[in-house]
Amino acid sequence: MPDVDVLVVGAGPAGAVAAWQAKQAAPELDVVLLERDRAVGAPVRCAEGVGDAGLREFANPDGADWVSRRITDVILEAPDDTQVVLADSGVGWILDRTRFDAFLAAQAAAEGAAVLVGAEATAMARNGNDRWHVRVKQRGIEDVYRARIVICADGVETMVGRWAGLDTRVPARDMESCAQYVLQGIDINPDAIYLQFGTAIAPGGYAWIFPKGVGVANVGLGLVALKTDGRNAREYLDAWIARRFPTGARTGYTVGGVIVHTTIKQTYTDGVLVAGDAAHMINPLSGGGINNAMKAGRLAGCTAAAAIREGDTSERRLAAYHQAWMDLLGEDHLKYYRLKQALEHMDDAFLNSLARTANKVAPQKRTLGRVLTHAMIRHPLLIPVVARFFV
Amino acid sequence: MRRVTPDTIAVVDLGVCDRCGLCLPLCPPEAIHLELNILTVDEATCTGCEKCIAPCPVGALAMVAYAGR
Repeated sequence: MPDVDVLVVGAGPAGAVAAWQAKQAAPELDVVLLERDRAVGAPVRCAEGVGDAGLREFANPDGADWVSRRITDVILEAPDDTQVVLADSGVGWILDRTRFDAFLAAQAAAEGAAVLVGAEATAMARNGNDRWHVRVKQRGIEDVYRARIVICADGVETMVGRWAGLDTRVPARDMESCAQYVLQGIDINPDAIYLQFGTAIAPGGYAWIFPKGVGVANVGLGLVALKTDGRNAREYLDAWIARRFPTGARTGYTVGGVIVHTTIKQTYTDGVLVAGDAAHMINPLSGGGINNAMKAGRLAGCTAAAAIREGDTSERRLAAYHQAWMDLLGEDHLKYYRLKQALEHMDDAFLNSLARTANKVAPQKRTLGRVLTHAMIRHPLLIPVVARFFV
Repeated sequence: MRRVTPDTIAVVDLGVCDRCGLCLPLCPPEAIHLELNILTVDEATCTGCEKCIAPCPVGALAMVAYAGR
């Protein structure tokens, strides 16, 4: 029955950074990082796109082996295929998540955290004496870890938050059902990401092309099931690819859920912190979760270390984590959620017309801000929501 | 535990299921579990609400008639 100070469940970006930061903040603590799957970072259940600024707070992508492609352009596509090339979209990166996650876990290990793969948490209970008893199964053998703090970084399908008595449920309208292929041998601009909208393509979401190299890309889509005609996400994707890339070779596939909800009301309780997708911290507008997960992981790791040093891992003490998250990103998160809701009112005809209007703007002035301003002029419903971003 | 036994409950086709776990947080009574790479719907907890069915990206879940235990 191993005793640990911090038990992190899930070695994705949130968990690995939490373990890394906890150990860095308090080297004397015993920190264990659990990964259910046989390898950190695999299977890849992600479109692998991240923004430059957020990424650099944790790792340097220049020349890194965990980068697949550097992205300098964003191309929006209307339902009728009209393309809008945006100006000033900033730099982004398409990662190799298997290598990236392993890199982050290695950082945690370098600080002294113990990384265990093929180790799954199967149950958790509070045992009176200030510790969580977490049942962990590894290679058929079960053990019980007695942890002062459990950091729940176990993703969309989170169980740990549930075991801790927190509400991690998601309403159907805030779940993007996603499917994706790795497509090879396709003709695309390898330095740009493409996002296509349309009710016949990806109702309630968008289709994406995220290049991993010349002629190869993550090609997928996310949709809201409530808005479909009964087909599932993979069927929508197959139809879109049949039209757009009929000769592309599918060398890989994945499916999964992207939660586009506001952060769960309570990301903490006695001896527990919840970070990343498990806490609904994905950006509700873009569907991007990696940078937010790392930021939350850092806050969780630091809070856990400080609380243990102070000898107080109570709910009251850990509330500071939730507050720190809300101060850092909570407000923006809510704004993005409201913008997402407002954008749901834009139908295909509106988007097609908006694309044509946007293309009348000179290329160097055609920023996302300008495109949204045009949208606001024609759709006053958007004004109170969009204005919050640009005022 | 639920009060009323539903006429239909959700079942998963493990041959189609990708174990992505999307359905878990969608289930109001938390009847779906994912452990050791097997997804299960607890028939004693499922209320037959059907909220897990359409969102599955691969259509691995379906409703079946349920006679109760």
